[in-house]
Amino acid sequence: MMRTGNIKAAIASLRQAKWRSLLTMLGIIIGVSSVVTVVSLGEGLKHQVVGQINSLGSDVLTVRPGSLVHQHGDQTGLNLLAFLSASTLTNRDVASLGKQPDITQAVPFDFVTSTAASDSVQSDNIYVIGTTPNLPTIVHPKLSFGDFFAGNGGNFAVIGSDIAHNLFGEFNPVGQSINIKGQPFIVHGVIAPTAGGLLSVAQTDYNNAIFIPENTALGLNGGHSNILQIMIKAKSNHTEAAIASAKKVLEQNHQTVDFSVLRQDQLLSLAGGVVGSIAGFISGIAAISLLVGGIGIMDIMLVSISERTREIGLRKAVGATNRQILDQFLIEGLVLTIGGGLIGIVVSIILNVSLRVYTHWKPELSWSIMILAVCVSIAVGLIFSVVPAVKAARKNPIDALRGN
Amino acid sequence: MPLIELREVSKLYGFGNATTLALDEISLSVERGEFVAVMGPSGCGKTTLMNLIGVLDRPTNGEYLLDNRHVARLRSSQQAKLRRDRIGFVFQAYNLLPRLTALDNVALPLAYKGIGLGRRQGKASDILEQVGLRDREYYLPRQLSGGEAQRVAIARALVNNPSILIADEPTGNLDSRDSKVVMELLADIHRRGNTIIIVTHNPELTRYANRVIYMHDGMIVGDEQTAIGNMARGARRNFFNKKGFTDDDVAAGVSALMHAMPGDKAPKSKRQGPSRRRRTKARKARS
Repeated sequence: MMRTGNIKAAIASLRQAKWRSLLTMLGIIIGVSSVVTVVSLGEGLKHQVVGQINSLGSDVLTVRPGSLVHQHGDQTGLNLLAFLSASTLTNRDVASLGKQPDITQAVPFDFVTSTAASDSVQSDNIYVIGTTPNLPTIVHPKLSFGDFFAGNGGNFAVIGSDIAHNLFGEFNPVGQSINIKGQPFIVHGVIAPTAGGLLSVAQTDYNNAIFIPENTALGLNGGHSNILQIMIKAKSNHTEAAIASAKKVLEQNHQTVDFSVLRQDQLLSLAGGVVGSIAGFISGIAAISLLVGGIGIMDIMLVSISERTREIGLRKAVGATNRQILDQFLIEGLVLTIGGGLIGIVVSIILNVSLRVYTHWKPELSWSIMILAVCVSIAVGLIFSVVPAVKAARKNPIDALRGN
Repeated sequence: MPLIELREVSKLYGFGNATTLALDEISLSVERGEFVAVMGPSGCGKTTLMNLIGVLDRPTNGEYLLDNRHVARLRSSQQAKLRRDRIGFVFQAYNLLPRLTALDNVALPLAYKGIGLGRRQGKASDILEQVGLRDREYYLPRQLSGGEAQRVAIARALVNNPSILIADEPTGNLDSRDSKVVMELLADIHRRGNTIIIVTHNPELTRYANRVIYMHDGMIVGDEQTAIGNMARGARRNFFNKKGFTDDDVAAGVSALMHAMPGDKAPKSKRQGPSRRRRTKARKARS
């Protein structure tokens, strides 16, 4: 009952200086809310990527330029340098992969350009990709309007939902004309909105992609191709054999292993690893603000203790032990940090909801990260209140009574 | 068996050349039920003596027996418990916690004893009734007059049934009317058998005491039994006769009386004649 009294007293004395307490808590609030939000964004992104990859099915393989680097143990990563340089994959690879007995389909993703325009609007930072009409048999994209082009030539385009919205607004764009590299294309279909993805890591972001027939793409690029990836569909239950034969035929073609054949689970761990490390990095930065918040609390408590010297002296004169004074100030520090932690969580929940409503990100809050954040803020409160509280407890009652 | 027994107690402050001898081998015993007034010029060690008796401070040398128990060398947590259970303090500046109501201020020592909120407030309420402030329970200190604030402080000092009540110039910040109320309250507490030690500059207040101790330069220079109701002879002699004292002492004593001592923050005395408030009221009435 002594404790509850102390907590009440601490809240009362913090309420006395409302603004100061709020500003003191701000560091903790920002720290907790940003850590929780970043981690939940990362979780959400991971789930999206995972869902997207899983939707492909286990018999779909992806061939990427650049070899898998084996880091310590079972962790794998792609050689990013090879990744950024020109692709080593060629249309010959696509053709020879398609001929393998274990493989039913091989479809190239041939990067053409990154801009497209309608009569009035231009879209930048998109992917114009040359592919074959067989793509739908592997990826099964849902089309909201029109359908996928059937021939491997002609100026037809299937466009992603974001591009459709950007170039044509709310209208049905099928039959409209768009301009790619100076040539007019007729919109043949529109892909329904999908969860976003990271092209370079796991999957093409279909919302920002335009697919055109591969032969047309080659024509646009003067016969050159820049194949980002080749997607392969293995015969059912022949996945392992398909991987082996794909590796073999590519090695024959290239005379070296400058490619990788990835199963879905490998793509998953790649994507998860990249997203995880980015989220971890940003959370680390956010955690620094927790530290700064803790120092702010220590600072304010030291000020408050020297302001309340007389009060401490009086409390000691009426019989408070050093321990009881220590407890009083520790509890005040804890109330500040726990309060900050809880407000931070409320802020992060509000942020999460508004992110879900106003953006296409789908952050996912988890209890574990919220509990962890509150625990960390409690720890910060304890650590940074100890010094001021000890200082208060050690004050000599005579000096404290005399001082103002 | 005396309640308080000091044996050759000294207190030094500072180091090296800056050392000051605040108390110089003082021996003193106070019996249960005494009302002791301590007088003397500023800087003579009165407050230091009060702090030692109140176990707020430790003597540099000597022994202190409170109720036949050596307390000078106890651990600080033990001393805190001693202050909580045996000693009540009343200060010149009231020292109420500004954020707490009168009731909570009075209940504060009980909180450190670990008594539950309900019993705490009940007891505090009873004590406030005794000092005549039942209707001020939920006032904050800044809403109380000086006299009321000091009575709340006395209630706080009494709430643990202490053996000793120590009051360091309890009327120093009060006008004559409030001083009288506060002193009558202390006298009433004394009549109920409590031991009270007060420090004062005002010889009038020795009328309430049955023993007056005179201090000078850290030593006890006089100890006089006196009848309650009479002003102590020593107090009159100190302040109105020059016998046995130098001119400086008289100057110090007189200025203490006028409450205009350098370094003494007490307001100018309103005890001579009617208070300023009353005078302005009178002037208003006249016009």
